[in-house]
Amino acid sequence: MTSIIEVEDFSFRYRNASSAALRHLSFEVERGSFFCIVGANGSGKSTLCNALVGLIPHYFVGRSGGGIRVKGNQVADTSIPELSKHIGLVFQNPFNQLSYTAGTVAEELAYGLGNHGVPRELMEEKVRQVAALMHLESVIDKNPLELSGGQVQRVAFGSTFIMEPDILVLDECTAQLDPLGSEEIFDIVKRLNDRGITVVMVDHDMERVARCADQVMVLDGGRLVAIGSPQEVLSDPRTMDHGVDLPDFAKLSLALQAEGYPVDRIHTTEEPTVSMVKELLS
Amino acid sequence: MAKLCVADGSGNFLDRMNPLVKILGIFSFGLGALIWPDFSLGLVLLLVLFLLAAVAGILPSFSKLILGFGLPVSIMLLFIQGCYSPKNRVIIASWGFLHLGLEGTLYAAKIVSTLLVFLGAFYIVNKTTYTGRLVAALSGIGLPAKIGYLVLASLNVVPQMEHRIKVIRQAQSARGLETGGGLISRIKAYLPLLGPVVLSSLTDSQERGMTLETRGFGIKGVRQSSYVKVDWRKSDQLACWLLLVFFLLVLLASILSRTGIYPFTYDWGGGR
Repeated sequence: MTSIIEVEDFSFRYRNASSAALRHLSFEVERGSFFCIVGANGSGKSTLCNALVGLIPHYFVGRSGGGIRVKGNQVADTSIPELSKHIGLVFQNPFNQLSYTAGTVAEELAYGLGNHGVPRELMEEKVRQVAALMHLESVIDKNPLELSGGQVQRVAFGSTFIMEPDILVLDECTAQLDPLGSEEIFDIVKRLNDRGITVVMVDHDMERVARCADQVMVLDGGRLVAIGSPQEVLSDPRTMDHGVDLPDFAKLSLALQAEGYPVDRIHTTEEPTVSMVKELLS
Repeated sequence: MAKLCVADGSGNFLDRMNPLVKILGIFSFGLGALIWPDFSLGLVLLLVLFLLAAVAGILPSFSKLILGFGLPVSIMLLFIQGCYSPKNRVIIASWGFLHLGLEGTLYAAKIVSTLLVFLGAFYIVNKTTYTGRLVAALSGIGLPAKIGYLVLASLNVVPQMEHRIKVIRQAQSARGLETGGGLISRIKAYLPLLGPVVLSSLTDSQERGMTLETRGFGIKGVRQSSYVKVDWRKSDQLACWLLLVFFLLVLLASILSRTGIYPFTYDWGGGR
C-alpha cells in the first residue's frame, strides 16, 4: 500500500493563540484506507482537517512547521482550489457549506463541478446520481435554505462527494443527523471507501470507529498520543486518559476482566464480544 | 421564508427570455426615454411596461411600486421644478405666492417618466429573471467568476439574513426575551438581535469563504461551467434586434427634433 497523505513533524499555532493547536504530528494515511481521528474537544481534530485540505496555511493565519503532502502535492505550495481536485472536506456546520448562490439543491450540488469546468450534460448526470444516493430527489428543486438541518447535511455531503475526490475528509459531518440518518450517511461513506476513496473521518461514535476504521489516531492537546488499528487503540484503557471513550464492547470486556473472568483479549466490536460472552456463560 | 428566486425560465415569454436581452431592454427603454426631448416617449414606455408586467403576472406589485414611488416623487419634483425652476418663463397656474411654470413642469415630467421607466424595467427584469440564469448568461460572455459570485451573493443576502434573524429570534424568545407586543417592545426586542446577527454573519462568511475554495472556487486556468441552462433562441435574437433598432430610431428622431430639422415631439410652448 502507498501513502496518499504524509504528515511530517507538522505543528501549527493560530495567530494570537497562547499555545499550539497541533504539535509535531507525523503520520501517514494509506491510499484507500479508512482513517479515523478521535480526541476530546479542543484536541486539534478540526485544525488537522483544515490543514489536510490546505485551509492551513492558506486561509488561517498562524505559525506552522513541518509539512503535509497530499497525493504528492506539498499543501503549503498548492492552492486550495487546486487541492480540491484531490481532497474534499465536509464541515461540522452544513449551513456554512452552502454556496448561498444556488436557487435549488441541484445547483448547489453542481456548484463545485461548475468551478472545475465540468460540461453541463455530465453535471446533470452526476447531480441525478448523487441526489439518488443521498435521497435528495424529492427536494432537488427546492431552495437549500428551505431544508431541514439533516437535509442540508446531506446536500453538504453530496456537494463534496460529487466532485469525486481521491480523499474525503469528514469533520463530524453527521452531527446534525438523527442516529438513523447518521448511519445512512455512514453506509454511503463506507461504500465510497470500498470503491477505493480514502476516508479521513473525525467521529465520536467509538463503536462505529471500531467497526469501520483501518487506523485510528488519538489526539490530545494537539499531540499524537496513539495510532494503530482500532483493536490496538480502542482496547487500551490508557486511551481514556486522553478524553476518549472506549467502545461499550471494550468496556464490557474490561469490566469482565476486572471481575476476574478469564478474558484474554479485549474486544472492540459486537461479534467477538458476543462470542466471548457466550463462551464465558457456557 | 423568502425565496431566493422567482422565475426558473419555464413560465411566460419574459421568464424564458435570455437575461442579456432583458438587460438590453432596460437600457434601450431607459436611455430612449432619457434622450427623447420630452416626457411623451417615457409615458408610452411606461404603458408598455404596465402591459409587460400584466403578461408577467406581476401587475399588482408593479403598480404598487410605480404609484408608491412615482406619485411622491412626481409631486415633489413638480413642486420644486414647477415652482422654483429658474427656466420658468410661462406661468400655467398661480396660487397666491406660488407660480407653476411650464418649463419646470415639463422638465419634472421628463425626469419622473425617465426614472420610472428605468425603475419599472429593472423591476420587471428582476422579478422575471432567476439570478442564477442572469449570472450564467453574464459568465457566458466573459464575466469573471468572482464578480458573478459577488452579484449572486449580494442578491441572496436578504433571505439569508431573514433566515438568521428567525433562528436567533427563536433562540432568544426560547430563553424568555419578549419579542411581540407593541411597537416599542418590538423595537426593544430587535435591538439585542443586531449584535448576534452581524457577528455571526461575519464568522459565517469566513467559513463560507473556506468552503467555496474547497469546492474549487477561484481555480486558475479553468473556464467555469454552469448547471443553469441559458439558451439563446431565435426570439431572443429578434428581441435584441428590435430593441437596438428601437433605440437607434429614438436616437435619430431625438437628434432631428432637437436640431429642429424635423420636430417629432409636440410643441408644448415655452422654452426648453
